[in-house]
Amino acid sequence: MKKQKQVITSTGVPVREKPLGLRIWNNRGYYLMFIPVLVFVLIMNYWPMLGIRYAFYDFKPVGTPKFIGLDHFVKMFGTAAFWTAFKNTLQLSVMKLLITTFTAVVVSVFLNEMGNLFVKKSLQTLIYLPHFMSWAVVGGIFYLLLDPTSTGMVNGMLRDIGFLGESDPGIYFLADSTLWRPIFYLINIWKETGWGTIIFLATLSGINPELYEAADIDGATRMQKIWYVTVPALTNTIVTVLILNLAKVMNMFESVFVLYNPAVYDVSDVISTYIYRQTFMNAMPNYGYSTAVGLFKALVGGVLVVICNYASKKTRGRGIV
Amino acid sequence: MKKKIVSLLLVAAMTVSMVACGGKGQQASNTEAGTEAAGTEAAQEEYKLDKITCVVNGTLTANVDCGQAEFEKQWEDAVGVDLVIKQLDHSSYNEQVGTLFVSGDYPDVMIMSADMYAQYAPTGILWDMTEAYENAEFQSRVTSKTTNESLKKDGRLYGFAPAYGNGCVTYVKTAWLEACGINADDIKTYDDYIDMLTKFTTMDPDGNGKNDTFGVIAAGFLGNEAPFINYLPEFWQDAYPAIYKEGDTWIDGFNTQATKDALVRLQEAYAAGLIDPTTLTNGTKDAREKWFSNDQSGSSGVFTYWAGSWYQTLTDNLSKNDVDDRITELAPIAEVGAYLDREAPVWVIIDDQDGDDSREQAIFDAFIETMLDGDTVQTLWVYGAEDVHWSTKAEEFTTNAGTEKEKTYTYEEGKFHLKQNPNDPNSLWKKNAIDPALLIAPLTNGYFSVEGLAAEGNAFFLENCKPAPESPASPTYTENAGTIYDAKIAVVTEVVTKGADVNKAMEELYVNVVGSIVDQCLTELNGN
Repeated sequence: MKKQKQVITSTGVPVREKPLGLRIWNNRGYYLMFIPVLVFVLIMNYWPMLGIRYAFYDFKPVGTPKFIGLDHFVKMFGTAAFWTAFKNTLQLSVMKLLITTFTAVVVSVFLNEMGNLFVKKSLQTLIYLPHFMSWAVVGGIFYLLLDPTSTGMVNGMLRDIGFLGESDPGIYFLADSTLWRPIFYLINIWKETGWGTIIFLATLSGINPELYEAADIDGATRMQKIWYVTVPALTNTIVTVLILNLAKVMNMFESVFVLYNPAVYDVSDVISTYIYRQTFMNAMPNYGYSTAVGLFKALVGGVLVVICNYASKKTRGRGIV
Repeated sequence: MKKKIVSLLLVAAMTVSMVACGGKGQQASNTEAGTEAAGTEAAQEEYKLDKITCVVNGTLTANVDCGQAEFEKQWEDAVGVDLVIKQLDHSSYNEQVGTLFVSGDYPDVMIMSADMYAQYAPTGILWDMTEAYENAEFQSRVTSKTTNESLKKDGRLYGFAPAYGNGCVTYVKTAWLEACGINADDIKTYDDYIDMLTKFTTMDPDGNGKNDTFGVIAAGFLGNEAPFINYLPEFWQDAYPAIYKEGDTWIDGFNTQATKDALVRLQEAYAAGLIDPTTLTNGTKDAREKWFSNDQSGSSGVFTYWAGSWYQTLTDNLSKNDVDDRITELAPIAEVGAYLDREAPVWVIIDDQDGDDSREQAIFDAFIETMLDGDTVQTLWVYGAEDVHWSTKAEEFTTNAGTEKEKTYTYEEGKFHLKQNPNDPNSLWKKNAIDPALLIAPLTNGYFSVEGLAAEGNAFFLENCKPAPESPASPTYTENAGTIYDAKIAVVTEVVTKGADVNKAMEELYVNVVGSIVDQCLTELNGN
């Protein structure tokens, strides 16, 4: 007679493992509830993945896709514009992540220190609002503000304070390779810092007040309390936020798309915008090439997720997936 | 264990889907082959057409918010076939057409730009309408045969243009000319042109006491669709920075001395502040709205834009914004010679590949042939729906009521006239999908609205234009047009806005990046 496998229950008692069919039947309610989710995930997440195969095909709007092996990848790795986009994606994403996280932490700490609840809540609302604006609107606003002609508010202010002479040409901030990235980071700080503070403020509200009382008894100044109590309490959350967001660094499109232009492709073009141009600037695009670039982007993103998972296990004792 | 089961389920689902997809494709191609065989054997009978699906861009101005339902209904009543219009976003038309095709959602008939037509014509997806076109009833009334003759690829016609392409002319604000003491007739050479731009930039022509104006504004230094140079012709002059045919040979017009000279001219004018710097990032809407903006500070005196009805539209917009609305059309300077008449957009019929032309012929008869019937249907395409966009009934209406610009229009019974724009009751409707001034076969019912500035602008353009070069199409070009354009834009911006050395930029950013691709394109195009 076949020996049945034993399993250990949560209370540590060894019991015989029931047959799969019986286990499913016993939990049929859960399985039934799981079916819609499974179907949804299969259709929405896995079905589109079938398109990955086109990375190995010559696939145009007209005609039958033709298998061409790794030709698209050979072309991609031999294209300077692709490597520029790849390098920019990593640089812009990582810098943006570090800068916005840092500013969110600083703003959270300041908000936490505010005694006047009305001012604190009002400020919180004000800094959250930009997050809800679409990138298209943000792009339009900043193009207007930074316009190099007399209609641009920033150039007007620079003239008013004498930084620019009346006859000097205006600074074209968004078309200058040296200025584009700082402007991009500033716009991201303006738009996303408020939203980023939510998780840090939640952590701050959970800090045991006895720690501050103990610090008071020890004669700590306000800055010392921030440095020795508040910041250490936030460290774990900061690491978590950084790790979780690091996995998403390859997904950068709208924020760049609405702010970049041909003059700054060298510092602004990212993989998603490169794919966009390759696909939609051609009268007859080759979707195979776009898919190949997209697949490479996804692979890099996958590798980053694995690295983040490993880093998460090391720092937090548990993974993110 | 549960994880394993879920994983197995997912793998199984993917495998089944992959197999199912492969099976479906095979089945489709088998069916296609079968149908083709049957089709070739079948006698070409009269095809009973009950519906036409049409894909169009923003050139159909009778859009869903502006009387499209009435247009559709009147077309159906006139032709006796159900018409289904899918109007796609104008600015992303190419990408949306690509998406439609990939999803297998082919329309029966659609509009294509000259560039799209050049790429799609060799693929076999467009129906060869050569014979249908030559036998069409409207042939006897066509006044400009060359328009469609020039669209032929290897002697065959795959798309039909009911109007010629039109092009851009250079408009100058008359008030600015007067403020700077310039006579437009004296602008005959590039030096005269630059002198005018300099005065517009330095002499405060808008009179606001600030040195904040520019000579010229445009939507980009180099356009992204043929004929590429039409927004700044005075700088490009004899250069044509694209692959084009010179005699019987295709050549690369970008890596030429003419283009390098043009880039240096642009560089110098940009550095001197004569060109509005936003030209680099402007779309056409940005450029024209800045040009006729209510706030003229930071505006420009010169704007090169579409001829004909746009002459009237630009004037109307200046007037609407309370800006001096007088515009002078600038004759081409000596170095330009003539403005470019672009390749016309075309209507194409999608070939269902069944080897039987009866369906496509029926679509041609119902859709394209009637488009130039000289009467009811042509009027629909040119002016829109009766009693919505135009009318012959007696009526009286007022625009801009209660303002200084109030104007009353009175028409007697039987008199053709355009009505108020359904979207803007303060202006008159101008046209539907086909510009009446550009028609290759006139209306025979006497309905003609092109008068005033539109007529004047059209006549001016016709006197001063030449055909734009033909768009290229080869496998490598089709594959790499975007990459080539990116390389060109890199050179243009590096030279014009960053002051780089033109030879160095050309070598590093164009020849080294796409030189071999362009060579391959030329080899294919020249059949070497």
